[in-house]
Amino acid sequence: MAKRVPVTEGLFVETGQGPRLLGSRCRSCGTPYFPKSAVCHNPACTGSQVEDAEFGPRGTLWSCAVQDYPPPAPARFDKPYVPYAMGVVDLEDGLRVLGRMCGDDPRGARPGMKVELVLDPLCHDDEGNEIITWKFKPV
Amino acid sequence: MRDVAVIGLGMHPWGKFEGKSVTQLCREAVENALKDAGVAWREIQAVSAASSRFSGGRGWGLNGNDVVEDMGATGVPVFNLSAGCAAGGNAFNVGYMMVASGMYDIVLVVGGEKMPKGFIQTSGVEEHTDPEYLRQLCVGMPGPAFWAVMCRRRMAEYGTTEEQLAKIAVKAHKNSVHNPYARFRKEFTLEEVLGSPLVSYPLRLFEICPVSDGAAAVVLCSAEVARKRSAKPVWVAASKVATATFDDGIPRGLAGAVPPGGKAYHSEAAAAVRGAFEQAGIGPKDLSLVELQDNTVYYELSFPEEWGLCEPGEAESLLERGETLPTGRLPINPSGGFLSFGEATTAQGLFQVCELGWQLRGEAGGRQVPGAKVGLGQTLGLGGNGTAVILKR
Repeated sequence: MAKRVPVTEGLFVETGQGPRLLGSRCRSCGTPYFPKSAVCHNPACTGSQVEDAEFGPRGTLWSCAVQDYPPPAPARFDKPYVPYAMGVVDLEDGLRVLGRMCGDDPRGARPGMKVELVLDPLCHDDEGNEIITWKFKPV
Repeated sequence: MRDVAVIGLGMHPWGKFEGKSVTQLCREAVENALKDAGVAWREIQAVSAASSRFSGGRGWGLNGNDVVEDMGATGVPVFNLSAGCAAGGNAFNVGYMMVASGMYDIVLVVGGEKMPKGFIQTSGVEEHTDPEYLRQLCVGMPGPAFWAVMCRRRMAEYGTTEEQLAKIAVKAHKNSVHNPYARFRKEFTLEEVLGSPLVSYPLRLFEICPVSDGAAAVVLCSAEVARKRSAKPVWVAASKVATATFDDGIPRGLAGAVPPGGKAYHSEAAAAVRGAFEQAGIGPKDLSLVELQDNTVYYELSFPEEWGLCEPGEAESLLERGETLPTGRLPINPSGGFLSFGEATTAQGLFQVCELGWQLRGEAGGRQVPGAKVGLGQTLGLGGNGTAVILKR
């Protein structure tokens, strides 16, 4: 029975309200961090208390591009290789985050698109399990 | 601070040299620079060298020590500087400060590199705490894709076309034909560039730089030494190093904060260049030419406006009007740039100084910028490293 396995632990979670990215936010200046940060790195901030924070799901695609050739390790993909789109998304909660785009039309991604966070297969392992990462889906 | 002169320029051509070590490449560059300066190796009082990640240096980036042993161990102090692709620019800055401070009178600065084949791989640090590693693992976004994302943003903001991107590569190769040190000395048509394979849409193979082997060296000295020894010194009007700032709008790992109040991209390069203008007491209008780090054609559009050389969104029209050609109002990369040389990462900052020097001395042949008086060079390196140098006649 194929399973859904996260590509790495501790970066995202499926909640009752849908998927979220797991990070931190500074209690003093509000700076968002993803992945989690133990301290605030803002040189203008005098506090260094951060708390766990969840980010997503809605945002706007700031920019995007297509990975037209198979990327070098440690990137993972199913064979035969199919080009994919990746983007930089400005989430409504203030995080500017990188992520893979969903869908089979990589050239269709456009800066300014409204997008939503999803947890989706990046590739499959030898046992046929789905390796899951965060992606963005146009809404 | 004392005035500092550049009296020796030397390069090994860029290319792929299977049979030569990086130390051999450096030796040729150093010998050329010493000969150009009329300075003997034993007169060099200190060496500032770019540390390579990829070749020589005994795994510790001790590339300057390799050069000194090879040239003949005179006991000189050696400084090995690591700053990713900005290391050559960093080494120049340290060499400059050593002479400007009065600590040394004649200093050699050198950078050389032999690059592994293919696109530059990521850090090699396979740790889940390394954001670069996580970016590749979870998103699959190597360097060229990063440039492509920035380029696509510009296309959305200013309507930059794929044809305009290709025209920058055409211009670079047109210049390279006249540069004996360039790896690719061949003109390409617009159709050929647009017909090259997509690497990361919107960027094509001929619109990003490959990796190369190469080496460059320069001899710096005090004004007193320059007056005695050189008939053709050029002067360091400014040399600055900076790092990226927290409010930079480019997420360097997996994420950053959405920057409030607009954009600040490539803050390390902008701070170095703007700092250099301030140090030199000159402005963008005084520049005769610019050698900027064109890993991708996109940088030739974004950097000039980020540094105040033109208005935001004006770079495309400068290109279209031919103003960035050697004969234009703002010549950019008359050398042919990284697009024609390929990137021998840590040697690039010194390749720029050599080109600026030859241009200011009027020795640049078919790519000469007429009457060149002031030139700007700039590098950008992993880790948020930026450098700028302004040379004047």
